[in-house]
Order: sequence, then structure tokens, then C-alpha cells
Amino acid sequence: MGRSEEDVPEGLNLPENNEISGERGIPEEDMQRASLYGLLARVLAEPMGDETLEVVRALEGQSDANELGGAFAALAAVAVKTPRGKAEDEYSSLFYGDGARGELLPYASYYLTGFLLEKPLAKLRGDMAALGIQITGITKEPEDHIAYLCEIMHGLITGAFNGPASLETQQKFFKTHMAPWVGRFFTELEGAESATLYMPVGTIGRLFMAIEAEAFELAA
Amino acid sequence: MTKTKKSRRDFLKAAGIAGGAAGVAAVALTSKSVTAAVPESGKSSGYRETEHVKKYYELARF
Repeated sequence: MGRSEEDVPEGLNLPENNEISGERGIPEEDMQRASLYGLLARVLAEPMGDETLEVVRALEGQSDANELGGAFAALAAVAVKTPRGKAEDEYSSLFYGDGARGELLPYASYYLTGFLLEKPLAKLRGDMAALGIQITGITKEPEDHIAYLCEIMHGLITGAFNGPASLETQQKFFKTHMAPWVGRFFTELEGAESATLYMPVGTIGRLFMAIEAEAFELAA
Repeated sequence: MTKTKKSRRDFLKAAGIAGGAAGVAAVALTSKSVTAAVPESGKSSGYRETEHVKKYYELARF
């Protein structure tokens, strides 16, 4: 938390020891993963406000670096041209809809069963309890919303809940609750009719989820 | 173990997760969370109910 990129010297020689005991022991690539999850959570949990838009506009992707860098550059470029009202309208069309429902239903249960509040949500709640994660109960969104799942991954990596979770724990959570459907969700977000600002968000999510799935396999 | 950890790290770096394109995202988020997932009380080590989070909860009641 509150750790900026400057705190991590380039080429830092991190110990190979994987017994991570605290935030300072979290390798740079894992902090970056946490940040990416945090970014996705932040832009998917609610319409982007002025502050979030400023953050997104300041993202500096290198469009020539790789596909992910290109998506970051695209997101920043679109955000610069998107006023807050337009960003809110787009979020509403995508996820709330007017009268009926939004274009997308970003819930694990929906993607896995075709219905909301089904078994995947129940399983998630059980696993969250086992990990010591509780919801506040203030919001009525079910926990299998994509933003919450990203936030949980963020917290598992940074140790926000009960200290940093092992890669095994992260992988288990990812594999169980995200891998089976998030690729499809982000692909649909990327291609959604209402998506302009969220098109590169979809790209970033799609690429990142694929990278995560492969990286976990390397660690296994 | 050391070998697999290294290859995972190299893979993530090559994919742009570390030290490259995605770097700026680090500043973006960690300071302001909109999570609804919080640790059980008393075990908190990171998440705090900031003004932003409170505001989000207000906005998120629908």
C-alpha cells in the first residue's frame, strides 16, 4: 500500500526465498500484478470519477513495447478525450442499462451458469470465509462481480487480508473463481457495442488474465 | 524451485507486467481502493475505510 514505483530500484536483486513475510518482501512483478488488478477493480467497480479519469489519462503505455503496452497507451489516449459525463454514460450502458439491464453482466455466476446468485457465488463466499475475507455488507453487489474478484486478488498479493498469500493460494483462487470465465468477459467488454473508453480496458483485462494463467503454471 | 521462480519472473517481465509498459499502473491504484472485500475486523493489515471507499459505498447502493 502506498508503495510507489520509485521505491523499487530497477534491477533490484530480490531474494529467491519465496517465504514472503511482509510487503517489503513482495517482488516487483507481484506488486505490478497487484497494481493491474487494482486498476481493473477501480475502473470496473463504479463509473470513473474525475480522479480516476486523471489517473487513467496519466497511464503511460509504450505502444511499441508489446500488446499490453499498446492497450495502456490506447486507454490513456481515449481517456484524455473522454469527459466525465461521457465516461459515466458509457459505464451505465455497459453495466446498468436503462430500465432493463446493461450490455454485460460482470458476475461469475452469470457467466458460469447463465443465472445470477448461483452456486459459483456460494462457493466464492465459502472460499472468502476460509481466507478470512469479509464483505462490508454496505453495498448490495454480490461478491462475484469482476471488480470484487480483482480486488480480492489485489489483496491476496499485497497481503491486505491476512498477510501476503502464497502463489499457491493465489493460483487456487484465480483458477477456481476467475479463470473459467474472465477471458470471455473481457473479450466481450472489448467488443461491446457501448465500449469506447472500456474497449482498451477489455484488452488489458483479456491480456492480463491470459498472462496470469500462464505465469501460475510456470510457478506450479 | 529457484529455476521455476525465475522463469515465472522472466515471463511476467517479458509480458510487460514488470519494469515496462504497465509500470505506471502502480501509482494508480494502491492508494485508493474501491473494494467491498475487507478483512475480518481486527486482522486488518492494509485496507482502511477511506473517504473514497465510503463515497463508493454511498454510490454503490442500488
